[in-house]
Amino acid sequence: MEDKKPIIELKDVTFTYASTETPALKGVNLTIYEGEYVALMGLNGAGKTTLQLTFNGVIPNMMMGDFEGTVIVSGMDTDEYPVREMAKVIGLVFDNPEFQLSQMTVAEEIALGLENIGTPPAEMHRIIAESLEIVGLSGFEDRSPFGLSGGQQQRLSIASALAMKPRIVVMDEPTSNVDPIGKEEIFAVAAQLNRERGMTVIMAEHEVEVMAAYADRIIVLHKGEIVLNGTPHEVFTQVDTLKSIGLRVPQATELAYQLDQKRLASYAGKYPVTTEEAVQDLTDKFGKGG
Amino acid sequence: MQGVAIPITMVAGDSYIHRLNPLPKLFIALGVLILSFATRNPLVLGVVFALGLVFVTAAGIWKSYLRVVGILFPISLTLVVMQSIAPAFPRPWTPITDFGPFTIYQEGIYSGVSMLLRIFSMTTFALVMIMTTHPSDLFTSLQKIGMPYVLNFILTMTLQLIPILQNEFAIVLSAQKSRGMKGSGFGAVLPSMVPVFVGAIERVQQLSISLESRAFGSTGIKTSFRNVTMSLKDYVIMVLGVLATLATTVWVIADKSLDWSRTLIFPPTLSIIIVALAAIGFVAFFILAISYVLRA
Repeated sequence: MEDKKPIIELKDVTFTYASTETPALKGVNLTIYEGEYVALMGLNGAGKTTLQLTFNGVIPNMMMGDFEGTVIVSGMDTDEYPVREMAKVIGLVFDNPEFQLSQMTVAEEIALGLENIGTPPAEMHRIIAESLEIVGLSGFEDRSPFGLSGGQQQRLSIASALAMKPRIVVMDEPTSNVDPIGKEEIFAVAAQLNRERGMTVIMAEHEVEVMAAYADRIIVLHKGEIVLNGTPHEVFTQVDTLKSIGLRVPQATELAYQLDQKRLASYAGKYPVTTEEAVQDLTDKFGKGG
Repeated sequence: MQGVAIPITMVAGDSYIHRLNPLPKLFIALGVLILSFATRNPLVLGVVFALGLVFVTAAGIWKSYLRVVGILFPISLTLVVMQSIAPAFPRPWTPITDFGPFTIYQEGIYSGVSMLLRIFSMTTFALVMIMTTHPSDLFTSLQKIGMPYVLNFILTMTLQLIPILQNEFAIVLSAQKSRGMKGSGFGAVLPSMVPVFVGAIERVQQLSISLESRAFGSTGIKTSFRNVTMSLKDYVIMVLGVLATLATTVWVIADKSLDWSRTLIFPPTLSIIIVALAAIGFVAFFILAISYVLRA
């Protein structure tokens, strides 16, 4: 992390949804730096979605419940700015694509956000074409969003968020409806935007292998609290902690962990997290004989 | 899982009427609406209706037009029957003949026939307008002449919600069927109302969050993606259309000789044939509709 410029800062954030007893977030302290690719992991109900909703002010502005603490995003306190103003800085992609669509054609769906931030019409056509290209929906401009498949709708909602060129993009399980190839593409697109445009990407995701490969930082949530927070190496090597809260580790890490447990190889806690690393590591350890 | 498509939607095409700006079409349709309510004269209404059919032909939308008329016509037939035996006219009424336990009145049959023509003259123009205009273009045009953006959005959203709810209905019905509940008829439709509407409320809540997350309603300049231009030709057609409907309206109101309620005499046999046909037509449609709903 060369430039440590915080873009999202949470201080002692606690949130309890109306009509529930247990808080969905408990005293969360978190700093996310500009240009980071952050993966949020945790079981369903761990608080991933709730945490993401605090980033653009949906919590506390639009959700009923008990909110404590402060969230500062790009210098703005989310408690003081309405969601529609935060939207110019931070784009959210929700996990239910169908509920996010409202327009008559795909092109207009993407144009909606652009109209709201005052993009000149001439530029809009270029941005729409470009955004659809990125998510692989070129040629769908005049189709109805409601006539698309689940995966296509999900990609459309990603395109609509990206078109507004936010500094931060937050995605809540953006690939839940997408087929394996489409999944890979979405993660790759996010990584590309992250590298080339310096867009901060925050993604809630269950796919540990992919996140181990792409993310700069993994944040593990459990019952509303941050349990682990660090680089993929720092987090995924905590195999015992992850297992105790019911999370899976990448297969590569699991393999090394099993070998270590059976004393077939010694890792001293430094497990590989990606397949490439594991291959390299196993070649070093066992490959000599040929 | 596709629900029944609503019949009143745009029919793609490239006719002269399709290419016209939405505003002249809207204003002419409104003018015809006012004109239709200003007169009861069957000849005037008939001419307007015939003119509407000329536009239907010009726009090439006969198939979709007839699909709507197929539903509208039998329903409007009740008007003829009801009006004939209980006219919406100041008394005294002139009885023509007895029809079973009822009496058919001269004013009634006149009023029934003119109401039927009235409905068809105005809906024909309205349908030509709706079926040749992309809804987004219409809304953009309305916004240009000062309709609030939020109201506009509500209208768009409502149009979108109808097929969505139909879809959801079909899903809930299938779910009920798969759990051994009644899957068709009114007995099945009623209990599926609750999940469908609870779902709709949830959807709207989610949508409002997602819209705000895309800066909906934020401060600052707003631009528009759709660009609907008004050419000189559009202006000319709009002015001429409005003037024509306005002039006709003034004429039909001013000219008292156009009130044919007592001069256009329906002979007893003709009256009985009209009323009987209307009644049979409506009942046949009603039975067909019920059996269709029960089968679905």
